[in-house]
Amino acid sequence: MSRYFGWLFTIVAVSAPLQALNYEVGGCKTGSSYVNFTTISAGVTGVPAGATIQICPGVYPEQVTITQPLTLKGIASGNANRAVITINPNGNLAPNVTSVTFGLPFYAQVLVQNVNPAGPVNIIGITVDGSGDNAGCSAETLAGIFYASSTSGTVNEVTARNQVNGGCGWGIWVENGAASGETITIENSSVHNQGNGSFGNIGFGSGGISASSLSPPTLAATIRGNFFSNTGGDAGLGGPGGDAILSETNGEVSENVITSNPQFATSIFAYCPSVVVSGNTVANNSSGFGIEIYPGCTAESNKLSNVGYAIVAHSYAATTIKSNTIKNTLCGISFGGESNGPISGNTLNDAFYGYANWGGPPIGGNSLYNVDNVQFTTDYCP
Amino acid sequence: MSRNLAWFFSAVVMLAVSAPLQALNYEVGGCKTGSSYVNFTTISAAVTGVPAGATIQICPGVYPEQVTITQPLTLKGIASGNANRAVITFNPNGNLAPNVTSVLGLGSAFYAQVLVQNVNPAGSVNFVGITVDGSGINPGGSTNLAGIFYASGTSGTINEVTARNQTAGYFGGFGIWVENGSSTNDTLTIENNSLHNQVGGIWAQVQPPSTLTTTVNGNFLSNIGGNEILIAANSGISGGISGNVVTSSPYGSGPAIFTQGALVVSGNTVADVSEGIGPFFATSVKSNKLSNVGTGIQFQCCEAVPLASNTIMNTVCAIDFYGGASSSGPISGNVINDAQYGFAEWSGPTITGNSLYNVDTIQTTSSPCP
Repeated sequence: MSRYFGWLFTIVAVSAPLQALNYEVGGCKTGSSYVNFTTISAGVTGVPAGATIQICPGVYPEQVTITQPLTLKGIASGNANRAVITINPNGNLAPNVTSVTFGLPFYAQVLVQNVNPAGPVNIIGITVDGSGDNAGCSAETLAGIFYASSTSGTVNEVTARNQVNGGCGWGIWVENGAASGETITIENSSVHNQGNGSFGNIGFGSGGISASSLSPPTLAATIRGNFFSNTGGDAGLGGPGGDAILSETNGEVSENVITSNPQFATSIFAYCPSVVVSGNTVANNSSGFGIEIYPGCTAESNKLSNVGYAIVAHSYAATTIKSNTIKNTLCGISFGGESNGPISGNTLNDAFYGYANWGGPPIGGNSLYNVDNVQFTTDYCP
Repeated sequence: MSRNLAWFFSAVVMLAVSAPLQALNYEVGGCKTGSSYVNFTTISAAVTGVPAGATIQICPGVYPEQVTITQPLTLKGIASGNANRAVITFNPNGNLAPNVTSVLGLGSAFYAQVLVQNVNPAGSVNFVGITVDGSGINPGGSTNLAGIFYASGTSGTINEVTARNQTAGYFGGFGIWVENGSSTNDTLTIENNSLHNQVGGIWAQVQPPSTLTTTVNGNFLSNIGGNEILIAANSGISGGISGNVVTSSPYGSGPAIFTQGALVVSGNTVADVSEGIGPFFATSVKSNKLSNVGTGIQFQCCEAVPLASNTIMNTVCAIDFYGGASSSGPISGNVINDAQYGFAEWSGPTITGNSLYNVDTIQTTSSPCP
């Protein structure tokens, strides 16, 4: 008799939840095993915590706020395989979140905030298109996806595009101002056309992906394998800088491809206690900065081509710069002073200046070819 | 007595070894002096004045000359003080007449800034750390311009060279031009170079039945109007194109990497161009990264071209079968994110085994790619 009861409970416990595990938005999946929603916003509040919501190909003009752990996943149907979240032309364009690290009001197209119960929010294979938000810089900064304090998750194989907003737009913005740690991975995503390329709005005004936290750092960010182009400013970073507010993260910026930034922009900005910038390819920013790093950061095994200032180390303390390959640049490695970190195994070919703004002893252990001036001591790379 | 003879012979051997050592240092430009150096004032004088197989060190400076190399040797740029660039430039007093004729019959007259030709005895001609700048050179008429030209029957390595500003010329200006129409197999390795501001970057071709083995590895190219890397022949070509960074082809005439032959195209990054990789004939294309390209990979014809594990993002047509080209090669493990069309101009069976994300239209038969 007890054996009989055990068998009965097993069937009920396993089969009933299986029936409810499929959630869908858009109508391309039907049948009794699917719970259907017509909007993503209805989906993210209507599913149980931890559910995966499949998003059918189509256009979703909505602003989405996610407050529970779940996975949003774009799926194919027939010959189509793009679910696009767009600006709702009839919606309110007022800011819906304020950055705790920069104090800026944001309009987030997809906002991850106050997640309860705790758990990751994952976004896979979704396009977020910012076309149509023209509120401008004085009103807000536009973000495609915004992970607010105390949220975690993975953004994978997403497209974030056209966050222009008069020059203040970011593809993906993640931050943490809470004391507890937060882990966010952003990988394999296509990020392009953020900001408007105007000089006045470059900095934290616009860019591809930003990860920042208050000090001490409580955000571990991984930005890996993303392809960026025509992003308004910093394309991938360990924390935006140029500001008095502390913005610090740990983590890595690796294997990204970052090209065609507008002039004066920085492709990878790492202001950080311990960010490793490795294996990235940066090209076609002929009057801008390739990689800017601050004390504690490492730039290793990156490839930089056709970049005005390839690697800029802002520091009087240790930055590690090793095994990078730099070709076709004005200044190969520039310093904001002296660095006592190791600078070794780098290869420079085709640079007007090898080491710029460098007053220290000759730097050995690197391979230089076709460098007009090996070392240059005065301030600023010309 | 036999011990004494042995000592005598070893002394002779020592002389034989040490005397050439004294003469092994050859220099151009005057930054290295002393009895162990033979000094030349021009590169042209050195390449004829050294013994076969010598290494010639080139001091930083500007060398306005046209250089023809006809024996095996190595030209190597060196540092001196704070300078580390030796630049071969246009000689404003020189003759702009063509100095070599291509065996390919393609606008066949060339003005080569550095010409490797009729190398005797056979052996490698190598370049390390030299800049070849084509500024100011417009040969006019029906003559093309090349920075470095390896003619038929020559082999060698081009490493850490800069080739720039070869912009003028009838058919175009090329950074590095390699060809073979001879009966010997030529082997060329072109690696770690910086090329920019040309009409063509690195071009290698053969005239069948000649053969050429070519390795194009780790070069960074930008601002090149036509094909940035072109390796092509109906037959007789082999080698690989790997680890190059190929970007910003502003005029959009043809794929940034164009191949025809038994080549492996792998691990390259291609960005900001209208067409990424165009493989013909038995090339395999794997593990490349393509970003911000109008067309990612464009099949031109009908042979089996395996296409594996490439990552393509931000494109109109990720994989395009140009003009309805068919391919029986396996297409697998590729990742496409952010494409208007996944497989364009494709009327064959559904292509599976790849990962697609954010693709507006997976497959289209309409032609051409919009």
